[in-house]
Amino acid sequence: MPKQLCKGNEAIVKAAVLAGCRAYYGYPITPASEIAEAAALYLPQAGGIFLQAESEVAAINMIFGAASAGVRAMSASSGPGISLMQEGFSYLAGAELPCVVADIMRGGPGLGNIAPEQGDYNQIVKGGGHGNYRTLVLAPASVQEMADLTTLAFDLADEYRNPVVVLADGNIGQVMEPVEFASRAFLPPPPEWAVMGTAETRRNMVTSLILEADVMERHLLKLEAKYQRAQREAVRVECWRTDDADFVLVGYGIVGRVLKAVVELARARGIAVGLLRPITLFPFPVAQIRELSRRAKAFAVVELSNGQLVDDVRLALEGRRPVEFYSRMGGNVPSAEEVLAFVERKFAAQEVLIHG
Amino acid sequence: MATDGKPDRGRVDMNAEECKGCGLCIEACPPKVLRLADHLNHYGYHPAEYLGAGCTGCGICFFVCPEPGGITVLRLVLQPKAA
Repeated sequence: MPKQLCKGNEAIVKAAVLAGCRAYYGYPITPASEIAEAAALYLPQAGGIFLQAESEVAAINMIFGAASAGVRAMSASSGPGISLMQEGFSYLAGAELPCVVADIMRGGPGLGNIAPEQGDYNQIVKGGGHGNYRTLVLAPASVQEMADLTTLAFDLADEYRNPVVVLADGNIGQVMEPVEFASRAFLPPPPEWAVMGTAETRRNMVTSLILEADVMERHLLKLEAKYQRAQREAVRVECWRTDDADFVLVGYGIVGRVLKAVVELARARGIAVGLLRPITLFPFPVAQIRELSRRAKAFAVVELSNGQLVDDVRLALEGRRPVEFYSRMGGNVPSAEEVLAFVERKFAAQEVLIHG
Repeated sequence: MATDGKPDRGRVDMNAEECKGCGLCIEACPPKVLRLADHLNHYGYHPAEYLGAGCTGCGICFFVCPEPGGITVLRLVLQPKAA
């Protein structure tokens, strides 16, 4: 397919339609509104349905219905709307239903503001709903990845029968970049567990209610086995100049792009810095971080939130190496020079008087 | 960057106005990165000067210098301290 100039939010919808998404339920919210706008335009053209729900709570439960019927369904929102959807995530994960939701993060908590932030990390990656479940989380850093990871999200959702979240910030959602879309997906027949109102699917049961303790425990162990398998098989990460890095910067989304510039600037000043950009936030690239810690002397996490990603990096390292932390919040994105000053302060060789 | 391609490990500050040009530091310097300057200081001596690269921060020049306050040696230390 030829390249086209496309807004990040629009790329999500185009990729979703090409991936076979035929149902969009949502409620508009800045900075994710263009997703609903594009969905209203493109889904009916593809023979799908766009429906503006009365709230995000309704939207996620409409997805529950569509996913139960074996339809590829999605929604999108930003922080406050995602908070409302958390109950639905829990029910979808419990009933083992696939779906894709995009979270275009804005400033929080509360109404916060409409500027880009990464403060939804904990509520998405750690799960904001109740019970023993996880959502698979993909973190794009460009419009191209908005498209690619949306395609991947639908495949992962079907493979793991679990909600998948595309976690982007307002920057990536609003920016326009050239993007090349994947060709139209070959859609498998509806899954055999789907409830489609036909005689053949009459015996199928989609529910998250399991009253018997032993049966419930077996169900939870099955879910856990899926998450362990994701941890083994689904991790994606971009490593940039880490082969000879003494210090490793960790950041996702828009921060990953800033950090790439920081790596070049720091190396020009003789500090051997590399970048690890997690593309999947759950499953988290634990093994990759540990591997880099064999050579790297220290890590530095940069995020647009109050120390949420840094927790996972610390857990992955288990104290093997020191972890430094830098953040901007409220809609501010640090410049490369700003992060470079931080890196030099923490990692550059300092002159110490020994004689004289 | 030193001539052997390794990054500098230190730096040396020569106090040109106190130097009497005896040349002891130049003899003693293991990587041979010191020399007598072409210009004269206010005493009329050619003071010792640092070539600008290659110092290992060993401090031997400091110990051989007969002039109090003549030489200061700084060593580059990587931060943070190895965990």
